[in-house]
Amino acid sequence: MIDLQNIEKYYSNKGVKSYILRHVTTSIQEGEFVSIMGPSGAGKSTLLNILGMLEEPTYGVYNFMAEDVTSLNERKRIELYRNHIGFVFQAYHLIDEMTVAENIEAPLLYKKIGSSERKSRVADMLGRFNMVGKKDLFPNQLSGGQQQLVGIARALAAQPSIILADEPTGNLQSAQALQIMELFKKLNQEEGITIIQVTHSEVNAQYGTRILHLLDGVIKEDIKTAS
Amino acid sequence: MFRLNFKIALRSLMRYRSISLINVVGLAIGISSCLLLLLYISYESSYDKQFKDSEKLYQGMINLYDVDGSILRTIDQTQNVLAGTLKSEFPEVVESARLTDIYPRLIQAGNNSLKLESRYADPEVLNIFDYTFLSGNPGKALVDPNSVVLTESAARKLFGSTQVLNRTVRFEDQAILKVSGVIKDLPANITYNFQALTTWKLFENLNEWPKAPAWGNHNYYTLVKVKANSNIATLNDKLKGLIQRNLKGAKEDIFLYPLTDIHLHGSFVGGQPSGGRIQQVHLFIGLSIGILMIACINFINLSTTNAQKRAKEIGVKKTIGASRFSLILQFGLESLLLTALSILLSVVIVEFSLPWFNSLLGIQIVIDYVNPTTWLLLFGVLIFTGVIAGSYPAFYLSGLSTIKSLKSALNARKGLSLSLRQALVVGQFVFAFVLIIATATIYKQIQYLKNKPLGYESSGLIEVPHEGLLYLKYDLLKSKLLKSGAILNMTQSSSGITDRKSTIRGLAWEGMSATDKNIDFDQIYTLDGFTETMGIKILAGRDFSRQFASDSVGLLLSEKAALVMRLKEPVGSRILYQGKQCTVIGVFKNIVWGNPGVVEAPMVIAYEDYSDVITMRLNPKMSLSESVVMVSKVLKELNPNFPAQIKFIDTLNELKLMDETILGMLANLFGGLSVFISCMGLFALSAFSAEQRKKEISIRKVLGATISQLMSLLSSGFLKLVLIGIVIAVPIAFVVMNKWLENFDVRTPLSIWLFLLSAFLTVFIALITVSWQTYKAAVSNPINALKYE
Repeated sequence: MIDLQNIEKYYSNKGVKSYILRHVTTSIQEGEFVSIMGPSGAGKSTLLNILGMLEEPTYGVYNFMAEDVTSLNERKRIELYRNHIGFVFQAYHLIDEMTVAENIEAPLLYKKIGSSERKSRVADMLGRFNMVGKKDLFPNQLSGGQQQLVGIARALAAQPSIILADEPTGNLQSAQALQIMELFKKLNQEEGITIIQVTHSEVNAQYGTRILHLLDGVIKEDIKTAS
Repeated sequence: MFRLNFKIALRSLMRYRSISLINVVGLAIGISSCLLLLLYISYESSYDKQFKDSEKLYQGMINLYDVDGSILRTIDQTQNVLAGTLKSEFPEVVESARLTDIYPRLIQAGNNSLKLESRYADPEVLNIFDYTFLSGNPGKALVDPNSVVLTESAARKLFGSTQVLNRTVRFEDQAILKVSGVIKDLPANITYNFQALTTWKLFENLNEWPKAPAWGNHNYYTLVKVKANSNIATLNDKLKGLIQRNLKGAKEDIFLYPLTDIHLHGSFVGGQPSGGRIQQVHLFIGLSIGILMIACINFINLSTTNAQKRAKEIGVKKTIGASRFSLILQFGLESLLLTALSILLSVVIVEFSLPWFNSLLGIQIVIDYVNPTTWLLLFGVLIFTGVIAGSYPAFYLSGLSTIKSLKSALNARKGLSLSLRQALVVGQFVFAFVLIIATATIYKQIQYLKNKPLGYESSGLIEVPHEGLLYLKYDLLKSKLLKSGAILNMTQSSSGITDRKSTIRGLAWEGMSATDKNIDFDQIYTLDGFTETMGIKILAGRDFSRQFASDSVGLLLSEKAALVMRLKEPVGSRILYQGKQCTVIGVFKNIVWGNPGVVEAPMVIAYEDYSDVITMRLNPKMSLSESVVMVSKVLKELNPNFPAQIKFIDTLNELKLMDETILGMLANLFGGLSVFISCMGLFALSAFSAEQRKKEISIRKVLGATISQLMSLLSSGFLKLVLIGIVIAVPIAFVVMNKWLENFDVRTPLSIWLFLLSAFLTVFIALITVSWQTYKAAVSNPINALKYE
């Protein structure tokens, strides 16, 4: 599904290049649950941003679903966002002016899905995450864990083939974090959704099927987990 | 999608209440000013266009030629024979009518006596203007010489009713007229307005002078209706020479000018239209666009400033598949919503300020809600403002980088956005500062003209019209009033001391040069007591006196007149005046007669019993109200048919500066508003900058910077913008105001102090505006900014 070849990312400042990523070459298959780990400044988030086409690599080739997306025009990229990629953020990034239900509905609107279909999918998501009673609340009326659940529901509503999660539990307490990770595992196993997450936590990483260890912009280790 | 966007727009309005409020209020103020000025412009430009045949109506005008054949002047008053000649000799002219100037005439119904603004007119005037007759027959209304057409409100004032057909009124104490028609009140914006219309025949019956056909006198307005599709240029060519054919040696030509252009383009230079009221309209267009622009700039600044807060929403929407276009739509919708709210608010503001505005400009504007033009206007303003104010924020916000907006790493200090905003702020202050200078200059000039010595003692002087029985009872009036102690002195004259009505040329005297016969002299006729009553200083010789019979051929000259006539020994000089050999018996100090902004003309005062005005000096020993009551009581007693109309000379002098005063008030108002709106923008920008530089401030604070150091650090950038604005504005204001001052012969110089003081004031206001935010930023706890890093 994802194929990275020799991805490099650096910033030049007065002729001095400071590398974020060097020679990253890897591929990720459909149905994998990959955790990207590494210390601060290792380039984890940059790698995830490149995977999510939020940033462009300075050098290298990125194939997404057998298509070269290294530098994609905006319209194509939006197409991919609408149909294939779901984002989950550490800070949840819900739209504060929208209610829970509207947040979940938003990507469907952009995907131009009909009203009745939208309603049923939103209802489905609300039911699945036990949020029916909270559908008319605004994000600031929810706890962090609940907000992240809405964030995930929003990502799932568009039925993406891949979820990119940047430290999805970084702002959560451990019990809530556990719940989120269980959810990811279930989505991966039962629905076959590809998940790539950035995490600091060894425990969270173990939920996945594979761990990429990054250090100073280089993949140091690529291991399958026990599960 | 639209509904959701709409909902979100409303919710974010509520969420960012303070910024939305600043935005809506600022924009509403701007739009109100703009609407008010647009209403005024549409009022002015629809002058005389209300008639069915407006585009076929023309006015006869006359070009007067100089000796060398160039056009000296263009006048709008014509001969009494012109209207008839035009209709009989030129087939293009289907209707023609004469009208006299408007004049307050005494009209009585029963015991109710009023002065109504009246004109004499030919009956054909009713074929030219399609007045709406409430009663009476327009075809016959002015046929009977003793008939009068009244407006609805005039009828109501006279009779208390509009059902007054065939009732009689007494006109000028001279004739009994029958009401032959009542018409709907005329709109305020027509040139030939009136309250009562009487017949030309009556005019001729009551007076001798209009009867004889005279090609040499220009006293009346000639209005014509031409055939549809007539070529007026050809007709005007044919009209050339018409006057010479009828009056040998006449140096003038008639031409037809569209009635609808009279109001806006009524000034002529060298026979060519050279503007008129249109200049004021242009000024207002400029002001309205300027104010609206300032408000739009504010809107842009505030919206982009708010971008930081909206950045996350934009980033998230982009990652879930929002296209840039849909974001532009969303922010555009928000702008339109804010604009619509502002327009609603501004309609309310306009409704409340219209009465004041109307009375200031002496006009009648109403918002006509059933008129589609009004809605078109409002809609136009909505779209214009929405697009101007909303498009930049929409494009700017939608174009923010996804990843940066998610990281809240918007750094707008780099890049175009802030420098554009800075340019906009500079633009705002340029406009505001020019208006401040304009206000200051206009007030300074008004003050200067007001303080200019008049040459007579204006306080305690009143004037009343010399009319009716007062001609017979002048001496009685004088002795009665003197006896009552209400006045100290009284005089009669051909025109009032403030009203420059009559000039004459062609005086002859010994030692004059050939060109001296073209000198225009101001002239007043009076009997005795003129200089004493007015408080005019006699420099040589004496005033007229009834004791000297020879004074009937005496003359008084102003200092200036003696000067331009180069009389070495003015008193005793012989002057040929109006065909009479006269002797100068006195020289008086120059007085300001007409426009105080013009250098005074030389003046002659002649001894002649021809009087329109009685001027009295009130006795300071009696209280003002007492003496006024006494004067009106005596007037009423001696001249019972006329209402007593007492005018104070001081008030009349103030009215002369009305145009300038109005201009000053407008400049003050709009200058004040633009400073206010600009400062609202500055306030928001300083908040934005303080937010941007929170971390820097905190670090500086931790390193030991004092609050005042931090405040000057934050404020200096904004003050720089204001100063740049002032520097740009100074030459503009200088040129514009110099040009304005050129309208006056007598003018105050533009002083450097005025500029310095205005600049200081502007900077001071800006400083106060900015300080609030910078102070807040400077005293905030550094840990709040630093702990998130």
